[in-house]
Amino acid sequence: MLTRFANWLDERIGWRPVWDAIFLRKMPKVNWFYTLGSATLFVAVNQAITGILLTIYYVPTPDHAYDSVQYITTQVTGGWLIRGLHHWGASVMVVLVVLHMLRVIFYGAYKYPREVTWLTGVVLLLLVIGFGFTGYLLPWDQKSYWATTVGTRIAGVVPWVGDWILRIMRGGEDLSAVTLARFFGAHVWVLPATLMLLVGIHLYLVIRNGISEIPKKEGGKQ
Amino acid sequence: MENEEKKEISRRDFMKITIGAIGGLIGLGFGIPAIAYVVSPALGKSQAQQWIQLGATSKIELGKPTLFKVTITRQTGWIVNQEELAVYVLSEDGRDYVAMSNVCTHLGCRIRWIAGQDQYVCPCHNGIFDKQGNVVSGPPPRPLDRYETKVENDQLFILGG
Ligand code: HEM
Ligand code: FES
Repeated sequence: MLTRFANWLDERIGWRPVWDAIFLRKMPKVNWFYTLGSATLFVAVNQAITGILLTIYYVPTPDHAYDSVQYITTQVTGGWLIRGLHHWGASVMVVLVVLHMLRVIFYGAYKYPREVTWLTGVVLLLLVIGFGFTGYLLPWDQKSYWATTVGTRIAGVVPWVGDWILRIMRGGEDLSAVTLARFFGAHVWVLPATLMLLVGIHLYLVIRNGISEIPKKEGGKQ
Repeated sequence: MENEEKKEISRRDFMKITIGAIGGLIGLGFGIPAIAYVVSPALGKSQAQQWIQLGATSKIELGKPTLFKVTITRQTGWIVNQEELAVYVLSEDGRDYVAMSNVCTHLGCRIRWIAGQDQYVCPCHNGIFDKQGNVVSGPPPRPLDRYETKVENDQLFILGG
């Protein structure tokens, strides 16, 4: 029954070659470090699901942000869990993405023909950091307020254009409702859209170029 | 030999089943809390009932619905609001009081007492109620909602939230 439906669908939309390209591609003999990218992807999906759920109650204005977050954690069933998964997932994300990058560095996997995979990876790393930076402000408590005050001021020390960057980030001189709203917009629209695009390219390239082999020791057998 | 091989699960099928099962568990692990999270405010009990002071019984003219307006505080989500509650009170004998909500039982518009007509009129779809709150004509499906009342020190209270 299920196979018949699968065949019926394949005849019309041709999903099987796509499936095979993703899951039945040729692999060199690899080790557990090669799972770090997939682990990152898994946590990214976790962030997307829990993040979408948080927006059901969260309100990005100074008079409601803090209270709506408190409401999620203390009143909504499972709210502590959803918020906790998103909160801790954010840190796990940074750790995994860095470990994944280290694996790529130590195995020389960034070399020809995978330079573009590496470059999309660099952008992904920046995006993950951007998520962390913008998301941190959203609870609008003392910690997030001052962390963002300091964070934007750090951006402000860039020579020549620093002041401009600081003002654009804050949407004005000081941290305000404008800052919160634009951080929210970046966190839930700009960054996720860009991330999805880049993860798509990244994974396409991983599949298209194949996974690199574990480098052999010099002088070892070929 | 051949029979024996058929009984054993192939490595491939074993992996398929295991991956499917783990995936299913993860799906449930997200799915169940997610559903609970989304529906939870809908399942929460409505506001706790409490006695709300409307005003002095002396304001009520016998046999004539009198409108009382009180401001109550309600908590919705994380916001505490002031809301106005409007209640028509009718007493024929100065001892028994009928307190009726001014919310139309059709789709929730506010009804008004029209003295000349001796009826409550809903402006939205022409719902008409008599003095006791019973439906005379129009779409409303049931009489006006009534509050439980009590009188203490000549003050009228209703039970609501
Ligand atoms: C959201 C963040 C990221 C996701 C979801 C992700 C996902 C993946 C996945 C699933 C693979 C397959 C192989 C493996 O898992 O090791 C991969 C490979 C690769 N990634 Fe990432 N990645 C991310 C960030 C990065 C970063 C920050 C870099 C480096 C700057 C990078 C560079 C690479 C390269 C060069 C490969 C090819 C490795 C090879 O062929 O052996 N990625 N990525
Ligand atoms: S809402 Fe009153 S008649 Fe429809």
